[in-house]
Amino acid sequence: MKGFFSSALARGLFWQLIGTLVGAGLVTGIRALMGLTATDTFFFTEPAWVLGGFLGVLFFLVGSGVTSDWIKWARGIDTPDHHEDHHTGWDKYANVSLDHKVIGIQYTLVALALISIGGLFALIFRAELAASQLQFLTLDIKLFGQNGPQLYNTLMSLHGMIMIVSILLGISGIINYVVPLLLGAQDMAFPRLNAFSYWIAVPAAVLLLMSLVLGGFDTGWTGYPPLSARAPVGMQMFFLGVFTAGWSSILGSLNVLVTVVRMRSKGMTAMRMPILVWAAIATSLIALTATQLIGLSFQSVMFQRLFGMGFYDAAKGGNPVLFQHLFWFYSHPAVYVFILPGLGVISELLPVFVRKPLFGYRWIAMSSLGIALVGFVVWAHHMFTSGMNEYLRVPFMYSTLLVAVPTGVKFFSWVATLWKGKISTPTPMLFVLGGIIVFLMGGLSGPPNATVSTDLHLHDTYFIVGHFHDTIFGGFVFPFFAAIYYWFPKATGRRMNETLGKIHFWLMTPSFFVLTFGMMYVGLLGMRRRIADYDPALGIDSAHLVLTIAGFLIALSVLIFFYNFFKSIKSGEKAEGNVWNSRSPEWQVPSPMPVHNYEQPFEVVGEPYDYGLKDAGYVKFIEPDKGTHK
Amino acid sequence: MIHFVIVGLLVVVMTVLTYFGLDAAGLADQMHPVAASAQSASIDQLWHWEVMVVSFLFSLIVAPIIYSLIVFRQKKGEMKDGEHMEGNTNLEIGWTVGPLIIVVVFAYLGAYSLGEVRRVDPEALVINVKARQFTWTFEYPEYGIVSEELHLPVDKQVVLKMESADVIHSFWVPEFRLKQDIVPGRVTEYRVTPTLEGNYKVRCTELCGMSHYSMEGPIVVSSQADYDAWIMEQQALAAAAQTPEGQGKLLTVRNGCIGCHSVDGTPMTGPTWFNLAGSEVALADGTTVIADDAFLAESILDPNAKIVAGFQSPSVMPPYALTDEEIANLIAYIKTLK
Amino acid sequence: MSHSQDKSSALGQGVVIFVYLAVLTVLEFFVAVSFEAVPLLLVVAVIKAALVMYYYMHIYKLNQEDGTDEHSYEYKTGSNRLGLWLFLLSDAFVFGGLMVMRVNLLGNTRPEALNQVLGLLVTAVLLVSSFFMNRGETAMAHGDTKSFMNNTLITFVLGLGFFLGVIFVEWPEAAHEGLTVFSGTPATGPMGGVFYFMTGMHAFHVLTGLIFLAVVWNNARKGIYTAEKHWGVEAAAVYWHFVDLVWIFFYPALYLIGTAVALK
Ligand code: HEA
Ligand code: HEA
Ligand code: HEC
Ligand code: CUA
Ligand SMILES: [Cu+2]
Repeated sequence: MKGFFSSALARGLFWQLIGTLVGAGLVTGIRALMGLTATDTFFFTEPAWVLGGFLGVLFFLVGSGVTSDWIKWARGIDTPDHHEDHHTGWDKYANVSLDHKVIGIQYTLVALALISIGGLFALIFRAELAASQLQFLTLDIKLFGQNGPQLYNTLMSLHGMIMIVSILLGISGIINYVVPLLLGAQDMAFPRLNAFSYWIAVPAAVLLLMSLVLGGFDTGWTGYPPLSARAPVGMQMFFLGVFTAGWSSILGSLNVLVTVVRMRSKGMTAMRMPILVWAAIATSLIALTATQLIGLSFQSVMFQRLFGMGFYDAAKGGNPVLFQHLFWFYSHPAVYVFILPGLGVISELLPVFVRKPLFGYRWIAMSSLGIALVGFVVWAHHMFTSGMNEYLRVPFMYSTLLVAVPTGVKFFSWVATLWKGKISTPTPMLFVLGGIIVFLMGGLSGPPNATVSTDLHLHDTYFIVGHFHDTIFGGFVFPFFAAIYYWFPKATGRRMNETLGKIHFWLMTPSFFVLTFGMMYVGLLGMRRRIADYDPALGIDSAHLVLTIAGFLIALSVLIFFYNFFKSIKSGEKAEGNVWNSRSPEWQVPSPMPVHNYEQPFEVVGEPYDYGLKDAGYVKFIEPDKGTHK
Repeated sequence: MIHFVIVGLLVVVMTVLTYFGLDAAGLADQMHPVAASAQSASIDQLWHWEVMVVSFLFSLIVAPIIYSLIVFRQKKGEMKDGEHMEGNTNLEIGWTVGPLIIVVVFAYLGAYSLGEVRRVDPEALVINVKARQFTWTFEYPEYGIVSEELHLPVDKQVVLKMESADVIHSFWVPEFRLKQDIVPGRVTEYRVTPTLEGNYKVRCTELCGMSHYSMEGPIVVSSQADYDAWIMEQQALAAAAQTPEGQGKLLTVRNGCIGCHSVDGTPMTGPTWFNLAGSEVALADGTTVIADDAFLAESILDPNAKIVAGFQSPSVMPPYALTDEEIANLIAYIKTLK
Repeated sequence: MSHSQDKSSALGQGVVIFVYLAVLTVLEFFVAVSFEAVPLLLVVAVIKAALVMYYYMHIYKLNQEDGTDEHSYEYKTGSNRLGLWLFLLSDAFVFGGLMVMRVNLLGNTRPEALNQVLGLLVTAVLLVSSFFMNRGETAMAHGDTKSFMNNTLITFVLGLGFFLGVIFVEWPEAAHEGLTVFSGTPATGPMGGVFYFMTGMHAFHVLTGLIFLAVVWNNARKGIYTAEKHWGVEAAAVYWHFVDLVWIFFYPALYLIGTAVALK
């Protein structure tokens, strides 16, 4: 920890602060010269905060040193392909590294931190919801320039977006760590871009949190104008934060695609790639393209606020519904970004613990692409009540329901994989199974939303909230934990404690069922989304109390996970070999993974999941050719 | 083979259990709470089928998983691999086509049900709805009435022509099962035929700012006779309210002031008007001011000019462009609140 | 790297493509002035875009064989090329989104305030700059650093002219004619907002392209590019043509289609 203050992270944050002040000061100075008001409620004026926030990000990037090689290239100076890491221990993760394994872990750590912060926000507002009437977020408290209900809105909105960003970082973490190993590559195609994609997410998270103290914002994570055009300054920080995080996602997925296309080992044809790689491709295709539209939609509101361009202002001929189209064009496909890697992890781990080939490999691979592609044409199912063209609702209902088909293929294939296997259930497998069932609950609560007439009742109620916590937990959170338990020994050379892992699972899963089932239940009874207080006449007080308790139990289970995680890094049981008896290439070499991955390159000589077939290898390491050795 | 038979039975049993479990929780037969509109019938019907199919599909997947977990378990100390099965194209095609058929059927039912819901009665009663941060105002154009309560005659289709004064709101009455957003700059339509007399609430379902949670408005569905009586009463009230105070009170309904200001001292989004006129008001900048006519007028026309202590800046209160006479009436009304 | 074409035929091809593009642009302009034919304009724009993508941006190179040695310059260039194209694909979604905004908000109208002569002029400037960019890149591919630098300089000057022309001539003039940032009524739609957003986003890309050109020019001055190794040059050129490509669609969208509506 003593190296912390000289780490890239600390330097970056310091420079972000300076950048923010410089930007804000600049605008303030210019305004003062022009005779405009120079200060406002939150000290600086809104344009000043926006430029400040923006420059803060740039200063962070330059200050942390992640761009220094590029700056050298621009000046015509060549740099070595790889830099040796001279940092050790935790310092390695607070400094710029070009190693995909380090970056993968950096992503994962930040994702876990954000899950904790977002979860903490959830706990705060869940406590408020434990009973009707305003409990502690009352009208007369005042914190960060907000009264209770406003603070509720801010916390709720930030909970949504911080969790979503943490998912994006979490999947980047898994993909970054695992995919190059599965491909047999030494690193990602563009290591510097990879580091950049990670580091840009850090100031993005700072910006998101800044919105909390700058007056917050009361729009939910969707930020619909015209409300978002009049919310406090916090709104702008939120927009900037999401915009910045979006670049992390875009550039990261670009890197993944090039890596998969260009860096596969010899013999790894499309149908011999590990299944997680297919999921990474599908996810990346969405993230690469669609993300631009959430950026554009937020940017346009930002400009509307700054310059008065009336895109969404009805008085100037603007169209508020247009925003929703742009927004959901990203944000629907984005939900498949969240889950495809998770479903990939499920498909990847199942054969290992069932000791049987993945049933219908091709179909599962293609279903990922199918989900991604169909996912592009369903966005308006979030807008059935929005006042968009009435007749569009029916085609969007059809396309939405169609997604059930490729998703179903995955489920049935998983069931068939389990059938007649030799199943063992260590912690990662428990989370895989939990993920399947939870995601099934979430997925099956999708079609009732997708049929227009039932959605007229369900839209914007807690039924929807239940639906997406199920899909997100099943498609991301459970597989994410499975992946951490599974690849932990690869990364650290130690195992996580099984007993604590099992406690984590058996505490989280039932609580989670209660939480989401309860959400759907109160939703049907008339509980609206995004409200700080509900009508006692609905008779759902006690149900809400149970929900809150369940939420806290989930948090407790996560705390147990954290304890296990950090304890095991130091003193977990040593595990240097093929812990899970897997066929995957990364388990054929010692743990922790050597710095340059595979000492000898490998060649793919068989199918990836041929469990149960004697002597059918997947990869063969190529002996170094002694003749041409230099 | 025996495995398949057992699992098949399990699926059936589990489907039945899931379905009745949901029914016991009150969630399978119809949505909750009570259905109070003609439109809800076809919506609840669709929901009912959906729950049945969902119970089946859930069991179809979970039952074999649980069965496999028990029967195909790795025994202690055993280190064997499972059977080598790579896939089966016919099966895959089957479980692609099967769901596809279900999906197409449901999309058809969904479209059909939507058609039912949207059925238009040309005789429908027209009511104008104005939504604004955080109140509902209802105007009966035929009778010249403005009210903060929505009164509807039973068994008669009404069409609400809804407009927003500021941001997006959404009109939802759980008992009616229907929901429609209200978007600034356009008029959206909500058609419903109430079928059950009683008191309900319209609940705003689109986050519209700080006090979105409290944006609820009373709805009364009554017999045609009671409805007519209410109309008469309102007309009489409006006629009686020709004094400045009376006009002022009407204006507070029409402009949604009472969504944020109470007239009896209860705390709401904005400061109460009870005992306001003439009192000493503490401001956010630490100074105080006497709430005379000038201050009240300024507060209405430009809420940001002086922020009352304990409230956030910029003010959540929108500026109102009202005529001098209207302002005078409002002030006259506020003065009566002692 | 083997050259399928010798230098003069490569340069000649550049000229031919330029002539095609110029003729199509003129055609486009006259079609728009004389009668309303949105589908026809779309076809012309797509043809222009295809010419630019194939000949100037040589998209076919994505398919090029580049050996199997992952550490060779050629192989890395192949990866870089794919990365750049993916980036452009991603960026295209921004511009696509802007087009959607334009179509949704303005529909079949366009601001009358825009000066048609000026619009055609900036379009021509950008097109000519693309021509010189192509010459420059061709020169570099044949190892001619000097000619590369001259051509890039011309490109840069033209690009700068475009950028400054938009910001300091076109914008003030439009604003003077009533097309201010906040202009717009329920009848016209937010014309000012859409116009400045679209041209602004495009100008921002021109600006980044200019910086990119300046960087490669400076590096060429230091002599670090050769006929075999000049990925930086290729990237700058492809990016520059991409910016032109966007304008191929934006120009008709802002200036040519729909009926002109007055704001004042
Ligand atoms: C991880 C994220 C995730 C995933 C995977 C999904 C998956 C699906 N979602 Fe969900 N959804 C969200 C996250 C997700 N959603 C979020 C965050 C929101 C709220 C956003 C907000 O407003 O804040 C939302 C909201 C949302 C709405 C809008 C509701 C409203 O606001 O009114 C709708 C409507 O159609 C919908 C539908 C669906 C459907 C049909 C699927 C399908 O993909 C599900 C497919 C899966 C199955 C169906 C199960 C397995 C299949 C079988 C076993 C085969 C047989 C099945 C059949 C034949 C039916 N979702
Ligand atoms: C990854 C996605 C994700 C996750 C994991 C969660 C997790 C949880 N969510 Fe949330 N949720 C969303 C995504 C997610 N949510 C989204 C997108 C919305 C919509 C927002 C919107 O409408 O705009 C939403 C909205 C939402 C609502 C509706 C709010 C409203 O409409 O008013 C509720 C209400 O109960 C809720 C509850 C919870 C609870 C109790 C958890 C629990 O599982 C949380 C459990 C707690 C933790 C996981 C943290 C544990 C860690 C610690 C306690 C350690 C703390 C220590 C330090 C900080 C060092 N969420
Ligand atoms: C969205 C909520 C909202 C609405 C609607 C609203 N107000 Fe207010 N009002 C406030 C808030 C909050 C304050 C205190 C902050 C301030 O001073 O601006 C306030 C302050 C006032 C004050 C000064 C009160 C005092 O105690 O000094 C007056 C008078 C007033 N409002 C009148 C009106 C009238 C008349 C209307 C309708 C035509 C109206 N308000 C509509 C929220 C609202
Ligand atoms: Cu109005 Cu929420
Ligand atoms: Cu969706």
